[in-house]
Amino acid sequence: MSVQTLLRAGLLGVAIAGWSASAVAATGDLPDLGPNTTIGRLPAGGGTFIVRPAAGAPVAAIELWYRAPSTGFGAKPAPALARLAAQVVAASKPIVGDSLGKAVADAGGRLAITVYSDSVSISAVVPAQAARNVVRTLTTAYFAPVVTEDGYRTARRDVAQESQISSYDPETVVRDAVFGQLFASGPQHFPALGEPKDVLQISFADAKAFATRAFRSQNAILVVSGAVDPTIAAAAVGGRPEDSGEGPEAAVTPGLASAVQPVTKNFAEEVGGYGWVGPGIADTREATAMDFIADYLFRSDGGSVTKVVGEKYPEAFLLGQFITLHDPGVMLVVYSAKDNTTALRSLVDDGLAQMQKPMDPATFGHALDAFKYHLLTDLQTPTQIADNFGWYTVEGAPEYAPGADGDRGAYFQAADTLTPDFVAAVAVKYFAAAPVVVTLRPGTPPKAKPQ
Amino acid sequence: MRRALAAVALFALLGAAPVPPSATRYPTASATDLGATRLVTENDADSAVSGLQVFVAAGLDRESAANDGVAALVAECVTRTPVNGVPVRDAIGAAGGSLSYTVDGRSVHYYLEARSEHLAALVPLLGTALAAPDFSSATIAAARASLAAREIEFESNPLSVGIQMFRRSYYASGTGQQSLGNSGTLAGLSSRDVGAFYRANYRRRAIFSSVVGTVTPELSSAINGLASGLADGPIAPVSEKARTIPSTAPRIVARRDVAAPWVVVGFAAPAPASRDFGAMLVLEALLSDAFERQATTTVGFLEKSVGAFYLYDSTPASLVVYVNGSQVDPSLALRELLLVSRSLSQRPLGPSTLAHFKTAAQGQFLSDSVNVSDRAYLLGAFSSQGLGDDSINAALAALERTNAADVQRVAKTYLQRYIVALVLPRGQ
Repeated sequence: MSVQTLLRAGLLGVAIAGWSASAVAATGDLPDLGPNTTIGRLPAGGGTFIVRPAAGAPVAAIELWYRAPSTGFGAKPAPALARLAAQVVAASKPIVGDSLGKAVADAGGRLAITVYSDSVSISAVVPAQAARNVVRTLTTAYFAPVVTEDGYRTARRDVAQESQISSYDPETVVRDAVFGQLFASGPQHFPALGEPKDVLQISFADAKAFATRAFRSQNAILVVSGAVDPTIAAAAVGGRPEDSGEGPEAAVTPGLASAVQPVTKNFAEEVGGYGWVGPGIADTREATAMDFIADYLFRSDGGSVTKVVGEKYPEAFLLGQFITLHDPGVMLVVYSAKDNTTALRSLVDDGLAQMQKPMDPATFGHALDAFKYHLLTDLQTPTQIADNFGWYTVEGAPEYAPGADGDRGAYFQAADTLTPDFVAAVAVKYFAAAPVVVTLRPGTPPKAKPQ
Repeated sequence: MRRALAAVALFALLGAAPVPPSATRYPTASATDLGATRLVTENDADSAVSGLQVFVAAGLDRESAANDGVAALVAECVTRTPVNGVPVRDAIGAAGGSLSYTVDGRSVHYYLEARSEHLAALVPLLGTALAAPDFSSATIAAARASLAAREIEFESNPLSVGIQMFRRSYYASGTGQQSLGNSGTLAGLSSRDVGAFYRANYRRRAIFSSVVGTVTPELSSAINGLASGLADGPIAPVSEKARTIPSTAPRIVARRDVAAPWVVVGFAAPAPASRDFGAMLVLEALLSDAFERQATTTVGFLEKSVGAFYLYDSTPASLVVYVNGSQVDPSLALRELLLVSRSLSQRPLGPSTLAHFKTAAQGQFLSDSVNVSDRAYLLGAFSSQGLGDDSINAALAALERTNAADVQRVAKTYLQRYIVALVLPRGQ
């Protein structure tokens, strides 16, 4: 359930897609996402669309998701290639009409591009009356991408700047270090956004080639949510004729490291972090238990560890989330409290140890109620709903997306099966392994990057 | 399978299907007099959670220099008041809800949210804390420490600092004081000060509520009960004054640990019920975007070189435009900003420019008012400022009615006098 936090709080994310089958099969039955959600196929043999209408604010979230390795399709990894290619498409002005970025801005909307290790999301939030046009504009831009040298230059500048800014974000730095250790190979091993120098090394030709292959209609998942109706999917255009017959991209299998080493890096302030491998998305009960643990301990507005930390160290930063992925998922904890980071770490350790014993039934019951409320409060906006559908579809389980069928779907059903004993058993199973331990501190001599 | 077949069939049917009109408004809101209090509601049955904003007319405008920070200290104590043996904030959290508060110029608003079917049962918990808050020394000390920590965060943000400098200079009342106080003034506030502020302002007549989500008779009854729990009696009139901004463009300077200078230019602005409201929303959008390089994706406000905020939570309202010195030469940007302000007052916008910025203003307004919390806040805040019961939609309508002459008139009325707040790196 970490997806909304992950998507909106960070500049880049991490997605692991190690399965051999496609996320949503190109042929075959589509899953039932509940009576309020329509799922279908994009025109002309394209990928999947999901539309979830919602009353309320007259806005719509329109998102295109693609499975594509952040480091490119070639044998030699090119960190930031996926991010740059997505930006080049949005920045390029076709012969007729405006660039996507300008078109969305002119509609009063906001455009964001987020890259993960193995996926890319392009999302627009617009006034509802503009939604149909933006679906058409967005799919036109990506399904048959026009890329220009001008767009490439603008995109390079913007993405290099974004990469620079992300290097100041402790969450991003710790997450990249954790993934770099947990995974020995594949795009998961590399920072999805790369470093500024990585961005500047990518050629126009490479960006164009990546865009042409990755952003095909057949590889797309279009998600629309908000004050729209299901017919809005008809505004999507078809893909290029030459791509017909091709299915979605096959996933890259991540290579798990046989052993993990502690990581120490230079940073402006003292920050600590942990990372463990967790269950894959197919084990919905275990994955939901990990979400429950993260929520109970680290929820920013009331987690049991968060509350203690807040009283003892009011300036502290603490984040804990289970990142739901195809296989495996990752539990990530990031903490910082200036001169008290070591003491804060012991509070984190205490909390994690506590979860390895069954909670008393009354406390557990309250915590489960609170967990379900937190799920729902994080599914209020069209963007949150669309993010969840996009993420869980790309990871291979759209029916498990929180919010699929409201609070009656697979996710909430899995939450209903949790018990104190089961949660404790899951904590023992995954936290017993040695975590990746990340230490960021000022003035640390740089060390060679672990391979 | 039924859904899959329906979906497959969709495209076959679309060719003949008429395109339905898109929504351009929020669900219509209405007001109810509950007896002890008034409630404005927007029914949104699609939302799995419902949110209640309880506005108490106990905001900054009720503070004086002598009790700077007391509004926040009272609110923090309320949320820490034990109910059933635990602080009410935790009691509500354990019951599957959340409680928070915000201090602004005209009110303190407490926000209670839960699954729609649970909200009514949680309102009495907040009501108990509001009716008999814990002002013990221990609670006040803990509340003070919490506020002091947030002050450190506030002080590290040059934009917050610059806006606060302008507000302090502009407002002639407590409205200009820092919303969470500061450690110096908080340290001087005693249990007696806190109690006195509470008794003077936390009255039944000072309460006003708004709900977005599912409104049931049980919820209305619980809200009425919450208001009834407070003492009756008159509430004192409040001074809502701003100083006249001199034509000499005063400059205020502060130094902080920042990497680059920030400039905040503050202007007077019309209240939401004014006929000038829509035009000021357009100007906010225009000044937010006019200086930005054409970015492909939308940049956050801290990454922008120039941005604007229309602060209509206080009376009188204000508009601030900021310049981020790490992105652009602040002197140059400031000169351009003032030139644009003057130009806007001298000639009307062309039709396409007006349409562009009206759309931008609408998009910005909608994007900022999506979740239940923000909608409940706006609904109550606008309604209490004279925009009627269906107040968010009234604001959108005001924006749609705006024409080029309105924008020119408002630029002429409000943008020609300003205060400049400079936040400089130490040593400059």
